[in-house]
Amino acid sequence: MKDHDNAAYPEPPRKTPVVDKQTSLPNPAVILTNLFYYSVDVPVSKFKGVLDSIRSNNKSVYYHQKFRRIPELTDCENGDYLCYYEAEMQWRRDYKVDQEIVKIVQERMKACYQREGSSYKQNCIKEIEQFEETSNNFQLRYGDLGAYASGRKCLMKQKERMMADQAQTS
Amino acid sequence: MVGMSVLRSAAAFAARLSPLKSGNNAAQLLSRIIPRTDKVAVRFGGGHGKQMFVVRSTSFYDRRFLRLLRFYILLTGIPMAIIITGVNVFIGQAEQVETPEGYEPEHWEYYKHPITRWMTRTLFDSPVKDYEKMMAAIHNEKEKSDMRLTQLEVSRQMRMKGDGPWFQSKTPNKDLIHYGHKSTPDN
Repeated sequence: MKDHDNAAYPEPPRKTPVVDKQTSLPNPAVILTNLFYYSVDVPVSKFKGVLDSIRSNNKSVYYHQKFRRIPELTDCENGDYLCYYEAEMQWRRDYKVDQEIVKIVQERMKACYQREGSSYKQNCIKEIEQFEETSNNFQLRYGDLGAYASGRKCLMKQKERMMADQAQTS
Repeated sequence: MVGMSVLRSAAAFAARLSPLKSGNNAAQLLSRIIPRTDKVAVRFGGGHGKQMFVVRSTSFYDRRFLRLLRFYILLTGIPMAIIITGVNVFIGQAEQVETPEGYEPEHWEYYKHPITRWMTRTLFDSPVKDYEKMMAAIHNEKEKSDMRLTQLEVSRQMRMKGDGPWFQSKTPNKDLIHYGHKSTPDN
């Protein structure tokens, strides 16, 4: 499994300076990095290697579940409670997916901010814009529905929005 | 000395030789150990000062509570810790792969940790089955509600029109009516 998406989380260019040692004194940074490497990194990697070799014959896999699309609440007959139930379940799955989408976009913006340091205002414009757009749309659609949110309430909220738009334009 | 055992005679002999030593009776003769002269209870000694009897309130109940708490937590805590560590070390977590074409994974193959997989496989019903159970319950309730509505409608119609089997009251037979007292006009 790949670690992360390099297009969304680009690694910053390396700023390691060229080694231009002019003294014969030892470099404490090098000493400390070596110390960290031998005391922490090597034992941990060895341990992980041991565990992986123990677990190598018990490997299992898991899949991502994909759900079929179902006619929505607006396509249901009046009084068809089964159709209502299926549409409601689909709406709940979509709600969860949208929450995760907003979280991912937020994480990208935070990563960008962390990467850029003090120059985030000019280098992170795309991420910031994307985050603002996504979170605004999320608020508009699912904003104040509350803990007992349901597909019907979301539909009613959409109706209110459309009515407000119409009242505003006319 | 005739009739006494060898041990008794040896004890008598040792007692005669050094009568005031305490390890010289028969029971201790064979098994007595060398007395240690450095670990002896010494009164008024040690240099720590006067021995005090410290008057403290009882900590018995507190210590008993903590002892029992530790016991009951560790009673299931230790097996659980061993099992979970064993599962994580020997059976690792699953890796995510693309669903192969035409393959319908079982409902437990959508989870990562082996213990969750085991639980969904052995203890719980699959989400598909739960969904269908819910749909069946909704269908039942819908049918009940439809039947009740039709019953209300039918009874309204029958009451209005009066030509149905409901809302009929039993009247007595025509043949039983006695017209005798009305048969002549002067009654």
